Amino acid sequence: MSLLDIRNLTIDLADGRRLLHGISLGVAEGETVGLVGESGSGKSLTARAVLGLTPTGSRLDGSVMLDGHEVLGAAAREVRALRRHSAAMIFQDPRAGINPMRTLGDHLTETLRLCDGLPAADAEARALDLLAAVRLPRPADHLTQYPHEFSGGMLQRVMIAGALTSAPKLLVCDEPTTALDVTTQAEIMRVLVEQREGRGMGMLLITHDLALAASVCDRLVVMRAGRVEEEGSAMRVLVAPEADYTRRLVAATPTLAAGPAASAEPPEAPTASAPAGSGPGSSDAPSAAPAPALSVTGLSKTYRPRGRPPVIAVADASFELERGGALAVVGESGSGKSTLARMIVGLEPSDGGTLSIGGRDRAAGPRGRAERLERARSVQMVFQDPYLSLDPRVTAGRSIEEALRLHTRMPRAAARNRAVELLERVGLTAEHAAARPRTLSGGQRQRVAIARALAIEPEVLVMDEATSALDVSVQAQVLDLVAGLRRERGLTLLFISHDLAVVRRVCEQTLVMRRGEVVERGATAELLDAPRHPYTRLLLDSVPRPAAPADSVVAPR
Amino acid sequence: MTTPTLAMRVLRAPRASFIGRPTFTVAVLVLAAMTLGAVFAPAIAPYPPDAPDFLAVNAPPSPAHWLGTDGLGRDLLSRLLYGARTALLGPLLVVIGSTAVGMLLGLLAGWRGGWIDAALGRVFDVLFAFPSLLLAIMAVALFGKGLVAPVIAMSIAYAPFVARLTRSLVKAERTRPYVAAYRVAGFGGAFIAFRSVLPNVTPIVGAQSTLNFGYVLAELAGLSFLGLGVQPPTPDWGAMINEAQAGIVGGHFLPAIVPAVAVVIAVVAVNIIGEELSDRIGGGAPA
Repeated sequence: MSLLDIRNLTIDLADGRRLLHGISLGVAEGETVGLVGESGSGKSLTARAVLGLTPTGSRLDGSVMLDGHEVLGAAAREVRALRRHSAAMIFQDPRAGINPMRTLGDHLTETLRLCDGLPAADAEARALDLLAAVRLPRPADHLTQYPHEFSGGMLQRVMIAGALTSAPKLLVCDEPTTALDVTTQAEIMRVLVEQREGRGMGMLLITHDLALAASVCDRLVVMRAGRVEEEGSAMRVLVAPEADYTRRLVAATPTLAAGPAASAEPPEAPTASAPAGSGPGSSDAPSAAPAPALSVTGLSKTYRPRGRPPVIAVADASFELERGGALAVVGESGSGKSTLARMIVGLEPSDGGTLSIGGRDRAAGPRGRAERLERARSVQMVFQDPYLSLDPRVTAGRSIEEALRLHTRMPRAAARNRAVELLERVGLTAEHAAARPRTLSGGQRQRVAIARALAIEPEVLVMDEATSALDVSVQAQVLDLVAGLRRERGLTLLFISHDLAVVRRVCEQTLVMRRGEVVERGATAELLDAPRHPYTRLLLDSVPRPAAPADSVVAPR
Repeated sequence: MTTPTLAMRVLRAPRASFIGRPTFTVAVLVLAAMTLGAVFAPAIAPYPPDAPDFLAVNAPPSPAHWLGTDGLGRDLLSRLLYGARTALLGPLLVVIGSTAVGMLLGLLAGWRGGWIDAALGRVFDVLFAFPSLLLAIMAVALFGKGLVAPVIAMSIAYAPFVARLTRSLVKAERTRPYVAAYRVAGFGGAFIAFRSVLPNVTPIVGAQSTLNFGYVLAELAGLSFLGLGVQPPTPDWGAMINEAQAGIVGGHFLPAIVPAVAVVIAVVAVNIIGEELSDRIGGGAPA
């Protein structure tokens, strides 16, 4: 018998917009189904409808059968019973899903005591079992702790434990690992897979990550714009996609394996001279020959929060990047890669070490307007979230014009023309010049940010997680754009990313950071194929691999 | 996804509900009518504000005098219309003055931080300790009666409210990535602060300042009632209530009630508008 059976589900908003156009999918007992799609595809909406969580004022049509009960149109009491006993949900942001004012013990035992009428001691015992089941280190201590004492990954485990208290038959996971690092993602997925197998639950996994979905799911359902594009066994969908859209999605998904994607790399990029595999502190910046575009020696940064032990963000980082080269800096959150980037662009003063860009010392902050402008021309940055890095009141065209006029004293009309040229170069049109950021899509905004950085014609371009907020297909477009710009202009690129697969697509050289230290550096291909440092290996093993059987997400110990 | 700046919430506010709330619409209409009445008082008012009609002293409403007359036989409607000029102008000046001063100081404190922030914070604390009315009375004692001294004093008294709000908004705003993006592009601090951050916090500060209008209106009317503000024979709502005191003893309530009701209506109308605006924008709570 099918645990979940959605037939022809449609959702219309109060204003008449149709968000879902007849979705049909099913989850059998003990089966894991991946619901894959890009943002706005309606995958979360579909999943939420299973638990009766629908937008206010929306009209639903079709049928959602959960564990033999119809959810649509059911009375609040029935829906509540289904949520208590049949299905549970895990959300993307565990921090938002747990009451920050209450202990985890409260969070876990509340439903047991209130819904199942368990005595406090029994409920606590059950909570301890669950915390141990999701592999939290000290269950007994955790019961009296508050959410802020936990990292995101640990909280997500608590969330899973909370969802399991009601022993659900179906677990709906809405992007459960999107906000987490790869290694943490691997651990969380391992816990989920374990629990599913141990309990014989059905699982509906919503994700934008095709590789992740394929690595744990039996079947995949690919959604786009409120419609199911394709459905089939995970392997089949990934290896032999039938729908056009799925094919594009698979092609856009960056993989660790060297594939046709590598052709995006500029062929003439100089890589040979790089000191492959050299550890930190190797380069002394020889004054002979052309100076490297970017040279960093012993750069460090320590934060000293009041009342807490100091945090070493970057410790003694040293590397060089020659003109026209592309270097990736890879690491998990907290590895110091963003701090490194912020020091290089001058947003953060360094504690020690030297930093030179284009042969000029840039470690000290600029004094006066002329120095400030010169500093800006030496390096530009594209930020992670294009939604936040553009001034919301300023149109795309004007933000580029302002930068141009600041640096070149161009007359207004000339600046305007040049701004349009730049927009066209990054694949936008003159019409976009008049658009405010909020009317642009994520990819368009990031193009505007790139155009603005190019307007200043920097010697080095730093991209700080510049594509991680984008959908895979958009990410692929932006990466292609960057590759094109490198070929055309010999742009020197420092690419900060947590995503090893993306790095392979863009950079010849890669540097791996962990807790502020550079642990490995080398040619990207070599480093990914034959990692030397155990941490690099752990990172690589944590990347979900679709081609392998389900349990391969488990990182070897 | 997080909202990029506070100002965006204003831009995104659904237009339809703007007209949707009837109280808000009524408040806007009332205030618009008062403003028009004040601006076009010479054209609308049936009599000059200080023309006595000795045949109708303390007269009840009649076709000749719609709202009746006061103890000197002056037409109350005409005086009300002319009185609206000072009654509304004073608070308007105070709101503009306190917003300008408060936003500049708040921007300075929030943007620069450090000792400037700490020092300004203490100055604001001291100013908070003085009731604005007391400050206004002190100004009158120092510089003489009239509207100018109290308006300046109250602009200063209300500036810290605006400054505190601006400071916290600016502090939140300056950590946002678009400010970092401006910095990396080579823009100077002054440009970013005035051309980008300030416009982005203005809508919220503006909405909060509107709320001050009602308080100031009532306080300035009180000042005139005490005989420290607008001086007779210039018509002003507060001064009108003051002049009507003698009549109340004689059982003539109308000359006092008419301006008093006008003050209440204006204050309520402005507060409704201010609350609606700041609700819409998020109550000025720093994000």
